[in-house]
Amino acid sequence: MFWLAEGLVYRRQESIIHSLDPRVKLIISFSLFILSLFSSTIFEFIILLSAIFLLGVLSKVLRRMIKTITFSLTFVIMIFVINLLVGYDLIFSIVISLRFIAIISSSSIFFLTSSPDELDLVMRSLHLPYDLIFAFVTAVRFVPVILLDAIQIIDSQRSRGLEIEKGNIFKRIRNYIPILIPLIVQSIIRSEELAEAMESRAYGFSKKRTSYYTLHFKMKDYLILCLHLMLVVLFILLVYFLHL
Amino acid sequence: MIEVESLYFKYPLANDYVLKDINLKIGLGEVVGIMGGNGSGKTTLIKHFNGLLKPTKGFVRIFGKDTREESVAYFSKKVGLVFQNPGHQIFSDTVWNEIAFALKNFGFEEEIINKRVKWALEFFNLTQYKDMSPLLLSGGEKKRLCLASVLAWNPDFIILDEPTVGQDFLQKEKLIEIIKMLITQNKTVIVVSHDVEFIWLLQPRLILISNGTIVKDGDCKSIFKDNSILEKCGITKPQLVELYDELYPLIEQPPVDVIEAYSMILKLLRGLK
Ligand SMILES: Nc1ncnc2c1ncn2[C@@H]1O[C@H](COP(=O)(O)OP(=O)(O)OP(=O)(O)O)[C@@H](O)[C@H]1O
Ligand SMILES: [Mg+2]
Repeated sequence: MFWLAEGLVYRRQESIIHSLDPRVKLIISFSLFILSLFSSTIFEFIILLSAIFLLGVLSKVLRRMIKTITFSLTFVIMIFVINLLVGYDLIFSIVISLRFIAIISSSSIFFLTSSPDELDLVMRSLHLPYDLIFAFVTAVRFVPVILLDAIQIIDSQRSRGLEIEKGNIFKRIRNYIPILIPLIVQSIIRSEELAEAMESRAYGFSKKRTSYYTLHFKMKDYLILCLHLMLVVLFILLVYFLHL
Repeated sequence: MIEVESLYFKYPLANDYVLKDINLKIGLGEVVGIMGGNGSGKTTLIKHFNGLLKPTKGFVRIFGKDTREESVAYFSKKVGLVFQNPGHQIFSDTVWNEIAFALKNFGFEEEIINKRVKWALEFFNLTQYKDMSPLLLSGGEKKRLCLASVLAWNPDFIILDEPTVGQDFLQKEKLIEIIKMLITQNKTVIVVSHDVEFIWLLQPRLILISNGTIVKDGDCKSIFKDNSILEKCGITKPQLVELYDELYPLIEQPPVDVIEAYSMILKLLRGLK
């Protein structure tokens, strides 16, 4: 079950999108995210989701993007059912569910195509405080490590006769205790080790940080950024002003 | 009986096979060592022995039953797996409960659980810690606890992944004794290890894996004499085999332990006089 979350993890790959400046990738991802927040008809979401999936195809991460969506499907269904139960109509419930999917998949474009190093550079170019950047980037970097831990832990406990999917709902929740406790303990141990290793390598010693890589826009970046912004403006004009 | 028949395996998102055309039969009462370089597929292979992983192609049968047909819990009752990292399984509030966990999962009766846990604690010198949190134990003690928690349910096959990492010499010797005792009870012990000295003391049937295929499956004495195979798998010789290389042809077989080496050398010296 946990390997579904692999859809959230960056992998080194070659594609047009991967090779873009991370700032462009962030703008593309973020603008689609904002549009998902403000869109409100099924038609709009069809356009938005097609655009997102097209980007998924161009960056060769579509399969893993769909995994991310499958992973979040439980939430989507929950949102849909709760909306219906609370008394909203069918169309509205569908729109809300689609919005959730669009939000998840649009933000996953950035994370699936940008390495933690690129994330670091982008956040620095936004002049955020470095401690904050470091904490965030480390968290992202640790996702695959924690997933591997989770797989090992599940294998260990299943070998000791734990059957996660067995029993009624309360029993099933209790079944996760033997998995969650080692996972949390391992993460705490790991973060302590990381802190010690960093301090012994003089983390925070020099106030002014420099970077081996710097970001530069290339021709390709300008072109794709312009194209993207034009399409976004077109979408806004057509949908919000002409009410297509 | 574990039977592996033309087993191929690849992880869900990977492109290449991690295991290729594995064929094996392991019966009761055997000691088996599995060696091979990092990433050669040893852990992946043993995860097939209780159904945690299912073959992509081919078959794994435990006592005649295909691992696809029953749950992991069903096979685990007969095949106990002890993983490398105790941190991946320790979770209970006390050492006692840690050992009792699996017994409860397998549905043993209260009375039997108490008896088994008590036996395991005593056998592994852990009785004094029984009410302590297992997280407070030392690294080596945690590893012992993991072994205790598996032996407690008395499986027919015991599979140990890297059991000697972080163990002091005394514990290694004790582990060898335990394994030899288990063999006399007609259990099978399968040990995955990089520790050539430890493997040599066990004198097991040795299986060498390289790049997901079995390179050699045979008697440990003859394999450790074969330089080309050892080189191919990146394995060094145990010291006693090196001693044998130096003394050959004055002694015919490499000694299995220091005591045998001593008596061989003594005999040689007497002959020289
Ligand atoms: N969950 C997983 N998903 C994808 N690939 C994996 C997974 N687990 C292991 N692998 C890959 O399978 C190969 C074999 O790994 P395995 O853990 O079986 O090696 P090993 O022989 O036990 O190595 P070691 O001596 O380091 O313990 C490696 O290349 C590894 O990267
Ligand atoms: Mg391994």
